[in-house]
Amino acid sequence: MAAAQQEYIVEMKGVTKRFPGVVANDNVSIGIRKGEIFALLGENGAGKSTLMSMLFGMYEPDEGEIWVRGQKVSISSPNEAVKLDIGMVHQHFKLVQNYTVTENIALGIEPVKKLGGFLPIVDIKGTNEKVRALSHKFGLEVDPAKRIEELKVYAQQRVEILKMLYREAEILIFDEPTAVLTPQEIEFLLEIIRKLREGGKTIILITHKLEEIKQVADRCAILNRGKLVDILEVAAATTAQMANLMVGRELHTEVEKPPAQFGKPVLEVKNLTVENSDHFEVVKNVSFTVRGGEIFAIAGVSGNGQVEVADAIAGLVHCQQGSILLNGQDITGWNVRRRCLAGISYIPEDRHKVGLILDFTLAENLAIKKYFAPPFSKGTMLQRDVFDEYAGELIEKYDIRSGGGPDGTVRAMSGGNQQKAIVAREIELQSDLMIFVQPTRGLDIGAIAGIHERIIEERNKGKAILLISLELDEVLNCADTIGAMYNGKMLKIANAGSITANEVGEYMMGVKRS
Amino acid sequence: MKNEQQKKPNFLAAILGSKRWQFITIPLFAILCSLLAISVIILLVGKNPLVAFQSLLEGSGFLPKASYSTYKGMITDFMDTLDALTPMLFAALAVAVAFKAGLFNIGVSGQMLLAGFLATVLVGYSDLPAGLAKPLVLLVGIAAGACAGGLIGILKYRFNINEVVSAIMLNYIFQYIISFFINTRLVDPVSRQSRNVSEAARLTLMNVEAGSFKMRVPICILPALLLAVALQVFLAKTKQGYELKAVGLNPLAARYAGIKVGGNMVFALTLSGALAGLAGVTYYLGYYQSIQPGTLSSLGFDSIAVSLLGNSHPIGIIFSSLLITAISRGSTYMSSTVGVRQEIASLVTGMILLFSACSGYIRWRVNKSGGFKRKRGGKQA
Repeated sequence: MAAAQQEYIVEMKGVTKRFPGVVANDNVSIGIRKGEIFALLGENGAGKSTLMSMLFGMYEPDEGEIWVRGQKVSISSPNEAVKLDIGMVHQHFKLVQNYTVTENIALGIEPVKKLGGFLPIVDIKGTNEKVRALSHKFGLEVDPAKRIEELKVYAQQRVEILKMLYREAEILIFDEPTAVLTPQEIEFLLEIIRKLREGGKTIILITHKLEEIKQVADRCAILNRGKLVDILEVAAATTAQMANLMVGRELHTEVEKPPAQFGKPVLEVKNLTVENSDHFEVVKNVSFTVRGGEIFAIAGVSGNGQVEVADAIAGLVHCQQGSILLNGQDITGWNVRRRCLAGISYIPEDRHKVGLILDFTLAENLAIKKYFAPPFSKGTMLQRDVFDEYAGELIEKYDIRSGGGPDGTVRAMSGGNQQKAIVAREIELQSDLMIFVQPTRGLDIGAIAGIHERIIEERNKGKAILLISLELDEVLNCADTIGAMYNGKMLKIANAGSITANEVGEYMMGVKRS
Repeated sequence: MKNEQQKKPNFLAAILGSKRWQFITIPLFAILCSLLAISVIILLVGKNPLVAFQSLLEGSGFLPKASYSTYKGMITDFMDTLDALTPMLFAALAVAVAFKAGLFNIGVSGQMLLAGFLATVLVGYSDLPAGLAKPLVLLVGIAAGACAGGLIGILKYRFNINEVVSAIMLNYIFQYIISFFINTRLVDPVSRQSRNVSEAARLTLMNVEAGSFKMRVPICILPALLLAVALQVFLAKTKQGYELKAVGLNPLAARYAGIKVGGNMVFALTLSGALAGLAGVTYYLGYYQSIQPGTLSSLGFDSIAVSLLGNSHPIGIIFSSLLITAISRGSTYMSSTVGVRQEIASLVTGMILLFSACSGYIRWRVNKSGGFKRKRGGKQA
């Protein structure tokens, strides 16, 4: 007994957590050994984050016990978790944008020195050095004097990690750390995680990406609908095995895709140039055509102008030069509503900031592109019962899970279901052109396959589809035609069959020029 | 031990926890807390808080006083309260409309002053008959307020000037320019205010005889109540209301959905200004008969808090403005009968607003201890 407790640095015994209408964790017991990388794998809403939120003191379990270093503890706030040397990197970073890296790291535990022997001031210089030393030790290169708003996403994540290390956390929880990163950045991060383990830290990794687990984790607990399915030694398990346990059913990873039958051009983009608010050209002279029945996928590393192309087509940003044609009509000067009615669906990259109104109900969100016309409104009055009816249909058809039904706010739904709601809304518009930016971001394998099937179904119906994704696998799985963007330029357009993954990757990196 | 600690919040959570009723239970709880706090203060000055509260209600016409002078009664006190309620209701609705569109109209006072002044100058001193003068006063008030509000909206939309800054600046501009005209042209040498407007133009009928009483009759109170209901229907059931709320909650998403963000902001501030204009004419040409130069009405600022207490919900605002108006109306009587200073009434108002400003926190506490899911963190992946 005593030996077993020595072995585990963290133990959760029979933990149950209920939310209204759902059991998020059902009698889950896990033990985490000191100095290992322990992965928590599960679909969206399987209860991974909830379980770790309890370890980090954001919730208290309804039943069960938590033991840390052989002692039973009750963690009622994150502060107490920090006292137990537990740290967490959240999916959404919690940093002060206009503070420097060091200021963020020291926030709350500022080292004070006395100026002239009596005037207390915060010793930022000394802290800078400490932060620099820490970042060298674990390969987390960031400039301590830079402000957060100047940093890229991956660097902000490093600041979050440094924040934990500065507080001498020994148990580090990462909540979906790779969701916001590009492929190379993921490599770097996994390397950092390995270094942290070498430095004696215990790491808990919440993720639904199997490859990452295979690469770094020692052991892996699999959750499905709140229940613990199994704990595996990663080295001895295959990814297929893990995937099946996670989903609880056999998976088709390959989506069936009949040969393409191209129709007439639906979208023609000619010499498009877009400037951002600093008058910097982010899209440079890009031209391409998407035909009916075609999935045109733009591959590229984040921030190379793909999203701006989509925004320009949807009418959200101004075109500096060039023209956009929809079904042969020049729509360059049209406003957003007119373009939408003319036949453009758009799944935006940022579902919280752009795609949804979080405090509106699900029904209101689903109708946000239809509310102004019959049957959703008669004259000037909205028809609320039509809203609810329509929402009910889509909930059924797209398996959207909302605790409050059509009248629950979208804010209360899980990220995966929010995404499903957007996908449902945009596909149901049945537009000739559908623009999907990162449609499967943050979703689990099961949901991803579902959305890919939908996309291909629409393509088979003869819709033109513009797919913009950072996931090369997604591009290769779905696309009929692939365009690779780098630094605002479309470097290559090729049939999906005539180009290899490696070649696309090289264009994405700007290595290869045609 | 842990369970014992949680018992108390759970008891409260049981009452306040039902999300369905929180829209009413939480404000009531806030009011109760403030009354408790104020009771302590009244006890400290050596008076009986129950008697003080009773006198507040007596002064505002909700309870009968011990004695009345001729032509006076509970009904006349109550009508006085309604007379003061009318501009408060309009002003709080003005704040709420802007707030629903994500905008903060802190210029209600200035818009009221402009509307009141223009109506006074254009209609108040004319010889028009009542049947013509009163509708004209309303029209001038609506138009003046709408122009002032719309101006703030256009400044924001066209030039990206923060509406709070421009509204405060306009407040000063209206205040001083109007003060100049009153002092140089319209001043009554005795009262040092603008000359009284004609009874024909006034929106409150004075000394209306009913039975043995002579009372004030604010003719706009019914329209004001109907307007509150209409506004609720507008926000909940119309296309324009849906767009306005969408813009308020998430302008980026609204734009993405093809809703005109700028147009809706200008519209919301214009509507807000029009309501403020109505508040202005019912205040300066109703509750009062003249304008005091050089000051903005405190009512315009109180209306912000009243709107918050009513959760920016038009129907809620009916009740919150009635509550705040009744307290301030009853305060004079309280000070004269109980001997509690009149300022205590302002303290009561202040306390209620302070606690209602904390209602977000109360809601959060209750929902947390009740085991409800928090807004952020957890259960996402």
